[in-house]
Amino acid sequence: MSSKRLLAIALIGALGASACGANDPKAPGDAGAKPEKGGTLRILSESRTLNLDPAKSQSLAITSLGLVHRRLTGWQNAVGRPAKVVPDLADTGKTPDGGKTWTFVLQDGLKFSDGTPITSADVKWGVERSFAPAFGGGLGYHKDLLGGGDYKGPFEGKELDSIETPDPKTITFKLTRPYGDWPWIASTPAFAPVPKGKGAEADYHERAVASGPYQVGTYTKGVEVKLTRNPNWDPAKDQVRGGLPDEVVFQLGQDASVVSQRLAADSGDDRFAFGSSFVSPAQLAQLQATPSAKSRVVTSKSGAVAYLALNTQKAPLNNLKVRQAFQYAVDKSAYQIASAGTAQLAGDTASTLITQGIEGREQFDLYQTKPEGDPEKAKALLAEAGFPNGVENLTLVLNKSNNQAEKAEAVQAALARANIKVTIRSLEADAYETETNLSENPNYDLTLSSWQPDFPSANANIQPLFASSEIGKGGYNTSRYSNPEVDRLIEEAQSTVDAAEAGKKWAAIDRKIMQDSPVVPLIYTRNSFIHGSKVGNFFIADFPAYPNYLQVGITK
Amino acid sequence: MSTPVARSVPAAISAVLARDRWALAGTVTVVVIALAAIFADVLTALEGHDPYTYDSSALDVNTGLPAGPFGGVSGDHWFGVEPLTGRDLFAIVVHGARTSFLIGLAATLVSIGLGVLVGAAAGYLGGWVDRVVTWSADVFLGFPYLVFMIALGAVVPAEFPRVLLLVVVIGFFGWPSTARVVRAQVLTLKERNFVKAARVLGASPWQVFRTELLPNLWGPVLVMATLSVPGKIGLEAALSFLGVGVLPPTPSWGRSISAAIDWVGVDPMYLIFPGVALFAVTWGFNALGDGLRDALDPRWGGNR
Repeated sequence: MSSKRLLAIALIGALGASACGANDPKAPGDAGAKPEKGGTLRILSESRTLNLDPAKSQSLAITSLGLVHRRLTGWQNAVGRPAKVVPDLADTGKTPDGGKTWTFVLQDGLKFSDGTPITSADVKWGVERSFAPAFGGGLGYHKDLLGGGDYKGPFEGKELDSIETPDPKTITFKLTRPYGDWPWIASTPAFAPVPKGKGAEADYHERAVASGPYQVGTYTKGVEVKLTRNPNWDPAKDQVRGGLPDEVVFQLGQDASVVSQRLAADSGDDRFAFGSSFVSPAQLAQLQATPSAKSRVVTSKSGAVAYLALNTQKAPLNNLKVRQAFQYAVDKSAYQIASAGTAQLAGDTASTLITQGIEGREQFDLYQTKPEGDPEKAKALLAEAGFPNGVENLTLVLNKSNNQAEKAEAVQAALARANIKVTIRSLEADAYETETNLSENPNYDLTLSSWQPDFPSANANIQPLFASSEIGKGGYNTSRYSNPEVDRLIEEAQSTVDAAEAGKKWAAIDRKIMQDSPVVPLIYTRNSFIHGSKVGNFFIADFPAYPNYLQVGITK
Repeated sequence: MSTPVARSVPAAISAVLARDRWALAGTVTVVVIALAAIFADVLTALEGHDPYTYDSSALDVNTGLPAGPFGGVSGDHWFGVEPLTGRDLFAIVVHGARTSFLIGLAATLVSIGLGVLVGAAAGYLGGWVDRVVTWSADVFLGFPYLVFMIALGAVVPAEFPRVLLLVVVIGFFGWPSTARVVRAQVLTLKERNFVKAARVLGASPWQVFRTELLPNLWGPVLVMATLSVPGKIGLEAALSFLGVGVLPPTPSWGRSISAAIDWVGVDPMYLIFPGVALFAVTWGFNALGDGLRDALDPRWGGNR
């Protein structure tokens, strides 16, 4: 869920890195010194809240939530290798009938932080809990597939019939249709166990019962969250978490530029800290001049695809030729500089919807031109479409966070070269979401967004952004693209269990959607983070473009 | 009754400028920047840039900072360029001056016009009109108008002309202070014989206002206007700083300053140019206004 995901992650400080990449010496950011067990790791976060409620979380499998909660499956990702789904609480699932029924078997001897055993009923309870209206807002890929249309959560006394727990170790999901990526879905936050019968209170996240290496020690709203060791977590039964520091402290409500300056100065407790927000372009330029700090900046190899969404349901953008003109009118090079100062730090220019490092991705460019774009060609296309004098009065809405305004201005200036006149409307996060994700009939023409898949499958690149079911109602199809043929192909690819075969289908869909030009891919954004000198194993694998909280440790 | 009410305004101004060196310096500053604003297109054409065109060739390829020392200041770019965009900073500053002057002066016109009308009505008519005006002035003076403007800036549709919105909103919230002063002035004028005579002869309130009161109000009104322009310019800059002022790409000092703060460590010139321009205009109007007040406002009496 990228616009949201990016925000949520950037702010909450969900960073991602990989389990097996941990010991890879070529991993970006690996400082050389091996982290050891012990110490206190500090995470400096811009957000004022830290959401540790699995039902309400959009956290990636390797970020903040993963420190406290385990899920049915986990992620293993490494530099130079595609991310893999690996066993966490359970195995990675088996399907006897081509993807419609999935069965997971839990490991023996798992315990919650309060000492009670973790059973399949607790996992079921956790999933059911995510259907309760009071605990909405988390990743919801599972909800439709489990046929939970009318289900309102377990607190009203009803169970979800599509989940069966024949014994305390086995859990079976009966889906409404075949779905090959279900093991990935089982790594999303809702698949963390919540002790059956618990978690009815709204502030459950402040004292959530832990299954991971840490439990909530103290939770000071808006200021600090201290995680302490969970004595009942067994490292031998967990292959995705290092659990090295004795304590992890989240310092909330920090100013991003102050965080960068503090970490660059590297004194006192800040040596044991890292920032969970991206380093801004101004800060990056500053850090380039300080070699000692520059060596502690870690930049991902790739990441979310940043794109300009064109509202395909509104004139004049309902005209294909007009939309194609945008592909030539934008200046991806100016966008790179506006994003991070240099193309190197910003990321490669993009031409496909499937992001780099995703299985099955094919590199292609249907609208080949210079990175600076080709305003003349755009003008010609506009003239063909019946707009020889260009188009005026288009509105570009954007979310104020993450330096978006500067990027939008770069897009605005580039489009002006082709006589496309755009007005920028910047909105606060909530207002932006209301306009783009919730509104039935919004009046924006363009929006700037970026999308990092929630799990490393092309499915998560494409379905949330281009399936017609994702228009409005909280969905992220902000180009309001609706093509029955594409919908059919998406469903077909989703039901394909074989990853390689599915990958081919997704690549074909990518190309097909780009022919309709509902979005202009701009760049595959690189994210830069900075950490203190005593933080070890801080690196970013190919997917996702965030460091791995679960493997970070303190060096001596 | 020896108060010098109807002193000639132009005469007072020239007297102030002749005597008061600070007022003179303020006037020169304001005039210079005003000329730059008026001839912004000519000046930027001379320099050869406009405030909208991105130019990555003016940037350092390794950082996105302006290429060259002092923020890229050179014969080609007189004030250097913006980091990350390569847009010419001189063009942005002089076109920003245009935005600031336009909004500052127009909003002052709105607030002074409104204030004079409302204040004169309250003072001359008295009774319930006076009470309503006094109450509303108190309410408006205590109103958290900055918060209100931020909210308004966020909800008004993008199609609505933003400059007009700012002029109306900034101007509207400026009336109470003017109205209070004008009301006090009118209360004393009302008791003067020439006003009483006009009233006895059957002149309507509007006639009295135009022919008897207004000529005697020019002095204080001019002082208030001059002193409130920098406040209005500053308010526009503040709103743009907060991201609810004029919309990009229209240049604005406030927005440039807001963006420049992040860069102050590596590219201080980016902050200095628009910052100094804003400071100079604010100071210039204040110095001029102070001098005028000394010369025109009877309550302050003596001259420096």
